[in-house]
Amino acid sequence: MAILVDDKSRVIVQGITGGAGSFHAKRMLEYGTKIVGGTSPGKGGQQVHSAPVFDTVKECVDETHADVSVIFLPAQFVLDGAVEAIRAGIRTVVVIPEHIPVVDMMKIREEAKKHGSLVIGGNTAGIISPGKANVGIMPDIAFKQGRVGTVSRSGSLTYYVADTLSSFGFGETTCIGLGGDPLLGTTFEEVLELFDKDPDTRAVVMVGEIGGVYEEMTPPRIKTMAKPVIAMVAGVHAPRGKRMGHAGAIIEGAMGSAREKLRVLEEAGAHIAHTFLDIPVILSKLGV
Amino acid sequence: MRLYEYEGKELFRREAIPVPRGKVACDVESAVQVAEEIGVPVVLKAQVLAGGRGKAGGVKVAAGRSEVPGLAAELFRLKISGFPVEKLLVEECLNIKRELYVGVSIDRVRYAIAVIACAEGGVDIEETARKSPEKIARVNLRVAEEMLPHQALYLAKAMGLKGAELRPAVDMILGVVRVFRAHEAKLAEINPLIITAEGKFVAADSRMSIDEDALFRHPELSQMGIEKRHEEGELTEREKKAREDGIPYLDLDGDIGMFPGGAGFGIMGIDFLVSYGGRPANFMDSGGGPTPERLAKMLALLEDNPNVVGIFGARFGGISRCDDFARGVVMFLKEKGLTKPMAMRMTGNMWQEGVRIFEEARKEHPEIFKNIEIYGIETPIEHVAKRAIELARARKEQGKK
Repeated sequence: MAILVDDKSRVIVQGITGGAGSFHAKRMLEYGTKIVGGTSPGKGGQQVHSAPVFDTVKECVDETHADVSVIFLPAQFVLDGAVEAIRAGIRTVVVIPEHIPVVDMMKIREEAKKHGSLVIGGNTAGIISPGKANVGIMPDIAFKQGRVGTVSRSGSLTYYVADTLSSFGFGETTCIGLGGDPLLGTTFEEVLELFDKDPDTRAVVMVGEIGGVYEEMTPPRIKTMAKPVIAMVAGVHAPRGKRMGHAGAIIEGAMGSAREKLRVLEEAGAHIAHTFLDIPVILSKLGV
Repeated sequence: MRLYEYEGKELFRREAIPVPRGKVACDVESAVQVAEEIGVPVVLKAQVLAGGRGKAGGVKVAAGRSEVPGLAAELFRLKISGFPVEKLLVEECLNIKRELYVGVSIDRVRYAIAVIACAEGGVDIEETARKSPEKIARVNLRVAEEMLPHQALYLAKAMGLKGAELRPAVDMILGVVRVFRAHEAKLAEINPLIITAEGKFVAADSRMSIDEDALFRHPELSQMGIEKRHEEGELTEREKKAREDGIPYLDLDGDIGMFPGGAGFGIMGIDFLVSYGGRPANFMDSGGGPTPERLAKMLALLEDNPNVVGIFGARFGGISRCDDFARGVVMFLKEKGLTKPMAMRMTGNMWQEGVRIFEEARKEHPEIFKNIEIYGIETPIEHVAKRAIELARARKEQGKK
């Protein structure tokens, strides 16, 4: 099994007639992803790579029974596009563009919670369940089907982890790009919960990086999980970034530094990997 | 994106939050003129996009008219966290009785807007929050939820205010929440919020940061001259050049140039080099889907940097393809040439095409590749990082001889 997307997922591309939307629709199709349609207001009735184009997500879902959407729209149109998808019944919305206004992502998340949907991103490379479906912009060469679930904030680090897991024979059930924007539709903690419930996932690799709060939110989940978590955090030697006023410090306290993230993750029982090559060593020791 | 104090105060004034009488001065003469208009004593405040102003000596009180020119000139010579002082805010002096704190920000853990109040305002507010969190009162709002007066009243009471003090405090709290919402701020802070000896409530300082991703729908800010700005203080010449070319770039103090793919590996690569005993010379990010021209410019930044002895390159083709990467590197090698040794790894989307482009160029011009080692998916990136460190060491030894 896999989480969020698999060979049964019926995927639509919002913004399928644009350059990036059309290019990646083709790549996803070639991988075997079921791209059942796409949207582009005013272009309903056209076809892109044999996928039917609709004006609205609602028409598209009514016609195709899609349950996953991947968004290739300019950032300022993502609020409208994502909320429309959620209201049309899409279960998993993948937001590829970056620089989504914070207020917009808060509104999208509220709408998703209300409807029981999940929004991944923004600024994510997407989700891939190797051998089943590739939803987003990840290069499939790095990924092999297997038994480890991975989740990462950075696209490039995701590929290195996948590459390592593939070449050491572990492979992945599903790999999720959490996204690089400051406020994200889904947190590490929520993804860990999904992996914990997936019978085929034997262990989870999470890759965090300096800044933000999402790594620090995971300890309660890691402590109660049945599966081991291997954690990596980039930015231990990064120059200290700028801070955001007193209110940020009052709310987020010591959160944000790579060392603090590693400290709380290790304390919660996560196995810390300092390089990609540490990951297969840890997995072997754990008997994964 | 930070705002200057005077810009934040202008936004406060528009929401009827009382601020001290004052004006901005761009030189000593206009500072004197503003001081005469307001009447001494005045306070002169350096306007910079950085914290720590008070401790850096960026705030001065002129008790009499004769002190204004000297103090203003002194402030204009100051640099605060790398920022030169180009503007002063000249304001009336307040008779301070109490200093409170009110701030609004995003709580990323709760996905809420947090309205925070504390009876003890001033520079030590973070210390207070850490040591005595019970002194911090807060209200969490959902993104579209209106702040109602009773919620502000609870915060005012939590700050220990009573009787006639409550009304102006409630108005100010509601006002700062309106400012935060109206312009899509990430932070709106009044610190300190002052109660004067005369019993007036005044926002003595403003600290605001705007969500720059939402600027496109706030023409009112661009009308005030608030546009995208950099907040890093002083940039090095190379950082300025990189910025002009649209390349996220930071100088570090080591000697190994980083020529990475995405920002994530740009950060992790620094950790790798340091843990293997190397010292990175920079942080850099190519951005998604860089053109060959942009990649050539990235390499030029490292070739032209006299601190760089060797280069660590990494490309995992995702949205940015290996063929484009190889074209950029070859373009640079043909046009400019690399004198420094480089160990790099290339794999991912279109890697076969990338390898072909390198091989073809090498056949044609073997000499331009003499300092370069190119690895593929069979070699772990950790080994390539170590190899870059070895190459840089060997070059340094050579230099000594």
